Amino acid sequence: MFSRFNDFDRSFDVLDELRRQMDRVWGNLDEHWGFVPGREQALGAATWPRLNVVDAGANLLVSADVPGMTEKDFDITLDDGVLAIRGERKPLALEGYEVLRRERNAVRFARSIALPVKVDAEKTVARVKDGVLTISLAKAPEAKPRQIAVKGGV
Amino acid sequence: MSAKDLQKTDKIDPAKHAVTFRPRVDVLESASEYLVVADMPGVTREAIDVKFENGALTLTGRRAEESHEGASTTLTQEQRIGSFERAFAMPEDVDAEKISAELANGVLSVRLPKQSAKQPRKIEVRAS
Repeated sequence: MFSRFNDFDRSFDVLDELRRQMDRVWGNLDEHWGFVPGREQALGAATWPRLNVVDAGANLLVSADVPGMTEKDFDITLDDGVLAIRGERKPLALEGYEVLRRERNAVRFARSIALPVKVDAEKTVARVKDGVLTISLAKAPEAKPRQIAVKGGV
Repeated sequence: MSAKDLQKTDKIDPAKHAVTFRPRVDVLESASEYLVVADMPGVTREAIDVKFENGALTLTGRRAEESHEGASTTLTQEQRIGSFERAFAMPEDVDAEKISAELANGVLSVRLPKQSAKQPRKIEVRAS
């Protein structure tokens, strides 16, 4: 009796997969063309800045591509295992210059990451170098990897 | 595709699979120069190649993968690494000899001054 509904549900799974594939195709086009007019606005705040999260053993490193920005441009908070980065990148405007092409849009962003492990909030360090913001979060003692020695038999 | 292949595709090495990406660029013009500004986060000065040839400005280079001490696992990879390229046909009045480039805070600025001869010149009319 339920088999028909099950089949029906699965047909939507196929559509979901198709959608994921289409997203990937558009994502690839984005990589190739760098800039797809009209898509900027939709992507902008949700995907900017591009983030990397690296588990480096004792620390968790969150880095973000923020070209042209400095330390004071960010508002970083850590609340209940969620790291939030907020800020605004202003458009390039120079006196006496006319803009012929604009791809580096102004963006006001807020991105948050649910951290996969417990961290010691007091030991968090953030710095900006070469347009990359790196936040180093020290893992809480109980979350640190532990080396377990294997003893020989008696 | 075997189960082993599937495992392989699951562990994507961004350095090997990355296509050439295109950094975002602003182009500005003033009375005396053109200014090309490109986002290049995490790229070192040595890894950027700026070329001007036959009236075209080409920016190429490579963003190296960040190295970490000891064993590390990448959980999220959104940053684009690998080679990048952008090329622009510039107007004819660029003075190729005076082009300069500067990298600061992950932003590359290339200044292309206009040839002074192409700027409006006032010709004095003398009495004979």
